[in-house]
Amino acid sequence: MLSQRLIGRAAVRSAFKPSGLPVVVSPRLRRTYATESEEKDLVIIGGGVAGYVAAIKAGQEGLKVACIEKRGTLGGTCLNVGCIPSKSLLNNSHLYHQILHDSKHRGIEVGDVKLNLAQLMKAKDQSVSGLTKGVEFLLKKNGVEYIKGAGSFADEHTVNVKLNDGGETSVKGKNILIATGSEVTPFPGLEIDEKRVISSTGAIALEKVPEKMLVIGGGIIGLEMASVWSRLGAQVTVIEFLDQIGGPGMDLEVAKSIQKILKKQGINFKTGTKVVSGDKSGEIVKLEVDSAKGGKPETLEGDVVLVAIGRRPYTEGLGLENIGLEKDERGRVIIDSEYRTKIPHIRCVGDVTFGPMLAHKAEEEAVAAIEYIKKGYGHVNYGCIPSVMYTFPEVAWVGQSEQELKKAGVPYKIGTFPFSANSRAKTNLDTEGMVKMIADPETDRLLGVHIIGPNAGEMIAEGTLALEYGASSEDIARTCHAHPTLAEAFKEAAMATYSKAIHF
Amino acid sequence: MPALSPTMTEGNIATWRVKEGDKFSAGDVLLEIETDKATMDVEAQDDGIMVKIMQTDGAKGVPSKPAESAPSAPPPPTTADQSNVAVPESAPQKSSSKSVPKVPSRQYPLYPSVAHLLKINGVDADVVKDIIPTGPGGRLLKGDVLAYLGKINAQTPATVSERFEKQSHLDLSNIKVAKSTEAIKATTEKAQSKKLDTPAPPPVAVVTAPISLSAVIEVQKKVHQTIGVFLPLSTFIARATEIANQKLPLPANYQPTADELFDQVLGLDKVKRKESRGSYTPTFGSFVAPQRAQRKADILDILAGPSKPVAASKPATPGLTTSGPNVFSLQVPKSEEKRAQAFLSKMKLVLEQEADKLVRA
Repeated sequence: MLSQRLIGRAAVRSAFKPSGLPVVVSPRLRRTYATESEEKDLVIIGGGVAGYVAAIKAGQEGLKVACIEKRGTLGGTCLNVGCIPSKSLLNNSHLYHQILHDSKHRGIEVGDVKLNLAQLMKAKDQSVSGLTKGVEFLLKKNGVEYIKGAGSFADEHTVNVKLNDGGETSVKGKNILIATGSEVTPFPGLEIDEKRVISSTGAIALEKVPEKMLVIGGGIIGLEMASVWSRLGAQVTVIEFLDQIGGPGMDLEVAKSIQKILKKQGINFKTGTKVVSGDKSGEIVKLEVDSAKGGKPETLEGDVVLVAIGRRPYTEGLGLENIGLEKDERGRVIIDSEYRTKIPHIRCVGDVTFGPMLAHKAEEEAVAAIEYIKKGYGHVNYGCIPSVMYTFPEVAWVGQSEQELKKAGVPYKIGTFPFSANSRAKTNLDTEGMVKMIADPETDRLLGVHIIGPNAGEMIAEGTLALEYGASSEDIARTCHAHPTLAEAFKEAAMATYSKAIHF
Repeated sequence: MPALSPTMTEGNIATWRVKEGDKFSAGDVLLEIETDKATMDVEAQDDGIMVKIMQTDGAKGVPSKPAESAPSAPPPPTTADQSNVAVPESAPQKSSSKSVPKVPSRQYPLYPSVAHLLKINGVDADVVKDIIPTGPGGRLLKGDVLAYLGKINAQTPATVSERFEKQSHLDLSNIKVAKSTEAIKATTEKAQSKKLDTPAPPPVAVVTAPISLSAVIEVQKKVHQTIGVFLPLSTFIARATEIANQKLPLPANYQPTADELFDQVLGLDKVKRKESRGSYTPTFGSFVAPQRAQRKADILDILAGPSKPVAASKPATPGLTTSGPNVFSLQVPKSEEKRAQAFLSKMKLVLEQEADKLVRA
């Protein structure tokens, strides 16, 4: 088997060898590259969450690694313009909102509260730059060569890099990992200028708080950004095509519940509504919307329109066609269960291939792909990947939702526990939300956990662990949880699932 | 010496911070080591006593070992090649002297629910190994015990496990490969070559004009009243067609005939020919109000991909009407569009304003 593989590879390589004829190249024209002489064990295209994690892991495994990234900073969308900066804005805008509206009845009277948006943005930028530099340090620490430039396939073993500082180089790798991530899906007919028609990238860098903001797409990104700008004073309307917000993965009961809570916070919703067209020629951006089921058309106006209808795989300029790699209909690079493309030494992980577009999923895949290269086996449990929406209260879930189970005709039982019955939530005066647990009715094995509530994003880790270990709701209920904590609500929901909650 | 990085192979000892015979506890700095990159402290991972220092301060090129093997779990002092020898106060000797206990089949503790169920049902600890586990990594779950006890369907735990197994993988079935640009190019090229084989019909233009026949009908009546002859409408139209076909502008791609070319050679074409006789026969039908403009494609149409073309506006209903205007239309090659338009405007003029001339002619 092994020898066969070796022969196969040799044959592939020989196809790219120059012919036996002497190649006449003027010595002046021929460039010499520092990296040309040595072949890397692994070349990674993309320094986002998938790429840099793979680079570090491979470095730890003793591989000679090069990581190519064109952004100029590591960490990709997540760290530079996604998860991380948005969390900074969410946290600080929540503080501002709380001081402004919520502190008085808690017994704290504050004088004149003013928003300094520039400083808010600066705090965000500092968090981001601290983290990106941290990643760069980690690459260095693990002996990874970091090449700043745009990579594209020259052949099956060579990646040409157009360097950011000008000039070109090329790297050869025994293995190559594609981790180029995703980009914002544009809205047809409404060009994103990041000033008035913005994507998530523009939404974390607005220079002033818009008076009216329209958000196309009520998924996680749309709702988080809607929360930020609504807290800072914008009048926000979210337009969602589906009948539920939060995207199709969110449990329906949870989605309805969080919609009510966010509406109370001042965000307007238009669900079951499609945006027919947009016009940004005037002073104010206009959207023509229509009820998805066919109803009365309407024109909505906003100073700023956020396009948050999703993301799509990014392979532009990668030169996949140069080596004959295929994509599927939605532009995803086609892989097998070991992340190999049809050229076995080229693998692909993260947003650019199949599965949910989540940073932590990409990270898991990156580690698994390196383990496949180094040890011949890696594993990601796709049934056990949590999702978190960082609104206030947060929404988090793992496993299957009630509507998914219903649709699949799988029997289930449910236990819920509201935070209004939890002592810690009561003392915090943050009692909105609940924990909902879904388990198999016969074996009691946990099938899914859905949480709305303060700190839901942290609490879901317990649910994920339980799911990973095949725990039953009774196992959670019989595990001691500290008092008074929000986590007790988690335990009580488990009790409610297999028998009865104590405090409700 | 512990390796401080994956690439480190050897290092130098800068200084020892403990002396032989000193006691130290976990976290204390044992020594400083130097590499070509940095100087770092090595901390004790466990409590212990420094028995002997074999490489003194300033020792160069001490080979490194993976971090775990050096200070964290020091082997017995008899090993010769150790650079430092620290003996933890308790662990290794004791454990080696103990007889190895019988390895239990399951290393992990039973899940709380499982332990509880076994106890309350009085299941003997020896029997536990006979229960078939269905959990991840062969773990024994609550459902397995329930099935063993006959409290639930014996098959259920396995069925549930199967579902989990399915979900734990990426669904890579039903991948629809996007056509590569080359494939698209190939197909279009194919299509083009096909076209070359069977020449496509030249592009066609449809020219229409609404023409009222009321004037014609009046003339028709007058003729009927005065001379008692009923002239059918078709006669009027045929005559009008005849007139309209005279002296039409040349089509855009007009190729001079052999005779004309000959005249040119002889210098007889003093006046360049601009008109020719046409041979059009219009089709007609009663007037139909133009269809409402087709709905503009919206985002969903675009996302849903190419939709079926909406049927073009209905053709005019055949037959003539005497009341309203009739639609006269011509289907001509694109190059003759102007010529056809000229024909139809002539028709209109003749039928609407000079209908009486048709009778005299």
